[in-house]
Amino acid sequence: MKERLVLLLYLAVVVAATLVHDARILLGMALLVVLLHGRSGPRLLGRVLRAVWPFIAAVSLGYLLVGRTDLRATGDTLLLINTRVIALTLLTFAVFGRLDLQKALGFSRTLRFVLILTTSQVLTFRRLFMDFRLALDSRMPGRVGLLTALRHGAATSAWFLRRAEHDATEITQALDARGFFIDRD
Amino acid sequence: MHIPDGFIAPQTYVPAYGFAGVLWAVGLRRLRRTLDPAAVPRLAVATAVAFALMMVTFPLPGGSTAHVSGVGMVAVLFGVWNSFLALSLVYMMQAFMLGDGGVTALPVNALAMGLAGSVAAVLTYRLLRRLPRLAGVFAAGWMGTVVPAVLVALVLGWQPHLAHDATGDPLFFPFSWNVTVPAVVLPHLLVGVADGMLAVMAWRVLGREEDS
Repeated sequence: MKERLVLLLYLAVVVAATLVHDARILLGMALLVVLLHGRSGPRLLGRVLRAVWPFIAAVSLGYLLVGRTDLRATGDTLLLINTRVIALTLLTFAVFGRLDLQKALGFSRTLRFVLILTTSQVLTFRRLFMDFRLALDSRMPGRVGLLTALRHGAATSAWFLRRAEHDATEITQALDARGFFIDRD
Repeated sequence: MHIPDGFIAPQTYVPAYGFAGVLWAVGLRRLRRTLDPAAVPRLAVATAVAFALMMVTFPLPGGSTAHVSGVGMVAVLFGVWNSFLALSLVYMMQAFMLGDGGVTALPVNALAMGLAGSVAAVLTYRLLRRLPRLAGVFAAGWMGTVVPAVLVALVLGWQPHLAHDATGDPLFFPFSWNVTVPAVVLPHLLVGVADGMLAVMAWRVLGREEDS
């Protein structure tokens, strides 16, 4: 219940932040999130800046290059847009770093079940993918070329598709053996 | 193509959440009612596959890399509904766990890439069924990338027209269609080729495994 309330509160703050068009308020919100995060606040800010800088840089540079003559208005617009992006991303990272998403989405049994299965599969697949990538890098004397990257991607994708089929069968059999499908609606 | 938070106006993401929410509910209901006990585990692993496919990167001139979307391959293999739900879950996990894409952009990403991309890929694959199968697989992979890119470009370019202050300055994403369409669509015409080639190569690897 607590998780669901936190999720609802988070969504309300997100909507509110997109209805506010004052960069000072959004900056205050961003600072508040960093402060409330305690000692790890600066690290959180660093993580957020690493995640959003390509978008912020591309949009800001592009907007400056469009050639507005009123530099002050351009600066105000970019300040508002970028502060909003940073404030919202900070909020998302701060909330979902602590929130148990599976509990928060527990209002739907199917959704929760899919989410639990998916999370376990995604974490496994992610680790395996990194292993494959490191294996390729360790066998290449130079930078990986386009064709090699595509061949490796295709072989990896095919392996994951095979593995997915195997995992789906195994999970279904495991659930069936434990009577999961007997009391299903 | 993932849009971060703060670029999409509430005039866009609120109705998008409404539309996507209805489709998510219908999709989950279909899943619950299906008589196939493997449906839910299959959806979970389809999601994990889609997640893994998006980690497949290829080099671009200039030293950077781009990643494939895998939308076409997932849609052709798992069907439109499973693909839509699986890709929506991927975008949700990427937004909440990795900060890749935002919560306000989630319904737009899910509808453009998960739904429209899947529908375009499956329709293309079916329309081209008289051609050699690999041509259909390639075209589905390409369409599964390009159609969402066009939609995302249109949505982004709409933002300055939808939300601006009294002087006309944008409050969210600042560029109109004259910038977003070429900036988003043109690179994805090439990413689509990589996506199509990847789908064909993965299909051939799977075919070889079937034969052996």
